[in-house]
Amino acid sequence: MASNKKVLLKVIILGDSSVGKTSLMNQYVNRKFSNQYKATIGADFLTKEVTIDDRTVTMQIWDTAGQERFQSLGVAFYRGADCCVLVFDVTAPNTFKSLDSWRDEFLIQAAPREPDNFPFVLLGNKVDLEPRAISAKRAQQWCQSKNDIPYFETSAKEGLNVEQAFLAIAKNALAQQNQTVDLYNEFPDQIKLTNTQRPSNGSDSCAC
Amino acid sequence: MDNNQLPTKFDLIVIGTGLIESILSAAASRIGKTVLHIDSNDYYGCNWASFNLQTLHNFTVSKLETDNSDDDCLRIGNNLFDIKNFKTTWHFSDAQSNNPEETEISVTQEDLLAHSRRFNIDLVPKIHYARGDFVQLLISSNIARYVEYRSVSRVLTYLNGQLEVVPCSRSDVFANNKVSVIEKRMLMKLLTSLEKIEERLQDENQCKKSFFEFLKDERLSPSLIHYVLYAMARCENNDSVKQGIESTKRFLHSLGRFGKTPFLFSLYGSGETAQAFCRLSAVFGAIFALNQTSLKGLKTTDEKLTHILNGDQEIFAEQFVLGAQYAPQKFMKKLEIQQFISRAVFITDRSLLPSEQEHLTLLMFPPEEGKNLITIIEMGHLTGTCPKGFYLVHLTSKQISSPHEDFQHVVQKLFNHEDKEAPAILWSCYFSLPGIDNLDVCESLPENLFLCSGPDLDLDYDASIKKAKEIFIKMYPDLEFLPRAPDPEEIIIGDDHEAENKEEDKSV
Repeated sequence: MASNKKVLLKVIILGDSSVGKTSLMNQYVNRKFSNQYKATIGADFLTKEVTIDDRTVTMQIWDTAGQERFQSLGVAFYRGADCCVLVFDVTAPNTFKSLDSWRDEFLIQAAPREPDNFPFVLLGNKVDLEPRAISAKRAQQWCQSKNDIPYFETSAKEGLNVEQAFLAIAKNALAQQNQTVDLYNEFPDQIKLTNTQRPSNGSDSCAC
Repeated sequence: MDNNQLPTKFDLIVIGTGLIESILSAAASRIGKTVLHIDSNDYYGCNWASFNLQTLHNFTVSKLETDNSDDDCLRIGNNLFDIKNFKTTWHFSDAQSNNPEETEISVTQEDLLAHSRRFNIDLVPKIHYARGDFVQLLISSNIARYVEYRSVSRVLTYLNGQLEVVPCSRSDVFANNKVSVIEKRMLMKLLTSLEKIEERLQDENQCKKSFFEFLKDERLSPSLIHYVLYAMARCENNDSVKQGIESTKRFLHSLGRFGKTPFLFSLYGSGETAQAFCRLSAVFGAIFALNQTSLKGLKTTDEKLTHILNGDQEIFAEQFVLGAQYAPQKFMKKLEIQQFISRAVFITDRSLLPSEQEHLTLLMFPPEEGKNLITIIEMGHLTGTCPKGFYLVHLTSKQISSPHEDFQHVVQKLFNHEDKEAPAILWSCYFSLPGIDNLDVCESLPENLFLCSGPDLDLDYDASIKKAKEIFIKMYPDLEFLPRAPDPEEIIIGDDHEAENKEEDKSV
């Protein structure tokens, strides 16, 4: 891939309801945190430009829009993901237990070409809260058992480790894109319908 | 994954994730209505869905649990809209035995199944006019951000026993060496003066003519008639001149926007479309629950629906939208499915008309041997619907007897195994879809229940959008249908106070 080409990384965030997926995105992109729990209304995807090794890449971070709550994320959500971020709440053991099924679900639905090498990142969120139910050691052990997934302990509320975690996510996603065929190489000439799209000049414009 | 209960009060409950239901879910959620959207299947799309190879190969019509414990409710679901005549077959043995010299076919059934998830096979493949209502709605509502498209790169027809590229644009017409100079002038003259011709016909009271007769009267040569009638207007021989001119105009109107033909196809298949509308609905707060197999019935009081019974939960709403297959039998007594859609899907090893680049092809196969006009879409791996090295071929037509018989002549002509150039069918799937789109005969529907019809025979979704809009206007007469959704950058998420303001803005 030419290094001057604009790089777009699609990152999706998975995990049980109310582990803080939307809050992590908002803290990272907007540096804002809201205590008010809304089951992800209005959250779609957020974009942020990051520089990695002198390359500017655009990270597009996709929220589940609450469709995970009753296991109703459709296959369309998973299309073309470059990295999958798994999130659990360190004070809620059930959210940790769900990680296996979220990882499996991702691998089935997204069907990446090399499932063993696909980049996941695990975030243990809400470390500002007590009592702690899942120790860092236990989370790290889980990560080791899954091909050494990077692990970060975060607090979306206090902005703790969020920047670092997303930088690692971007790096892993970029490495993944460099190794395999990315979406835009795999499907060239795809058309995005937007208001600004101009008619293609290459072809004949009208029969009349 | 916590197994929590659904909330129990909504403005709108939508049952079924077919296209029209999904559009309505998005439209209601977008204007601030609280929406519960459920489906008994564990996938999106109902009869509009796309499946991977394994899932489609083993497809069975799903049934709701029958449970007679509560008989004073209106039981949800009827079997009028089930898919019929479903049959899938592997053809590896035929392909190999008929090609004794050709040893290249080394691919096996297991190879295809290993790539099962690279296949996205549409139950209802649709393509879109680049300037049609559907494309305009996607853009104006901002739902376009969830889907990518590819241009259909060529339109083919079958003329004098072979496949031919239909000239779409002016340069195509002039570059075409199968059409004489005189024919070129005649064709351009016709295409550039359709408006005037329409007026003239109205004056002369000639609107009752068939489009076919009209084209003959205009003294077009047989090949030109063929191009215009079948490939551009997609008309049967007895369709009216009015219909013919209208659809030719639609074709011409959408030229020159993207690519060389007037048509677009959604990357990863048509099943993405319903999901895009559902995503918007969810982003604006709708609650989604698939796989609701214990969906039981509807409860009414004074001719109005009040709530649904889902497992042991009672869930209340003001309005109800149901995919037609979920309508209680009671309302469907007078409904008879008179028209079915014949469908076939083939996985093949090469294109129908190979060329240097991979094409996404629309082939209008003319009515022959007493059969109907057949819409054939051939897609390669660049559409995200099949792995590299293979093609998916979709056949659709108005059913006469059975899908197998309706397409038999096409299979013989285009997929002839004795001719080594012709593609070999590796896997085939035939089925019939109930093609009803008139639900007006439904009896004594409660005033707050709205039924959505299933797939139609149209090439595109424009008629479905019209239907969704009609229902929306009945439910919310004074509210806007799918206004533009803000871009993510426009949503400012701040402290709680700001967030509340944002909420208010959104419901305006």
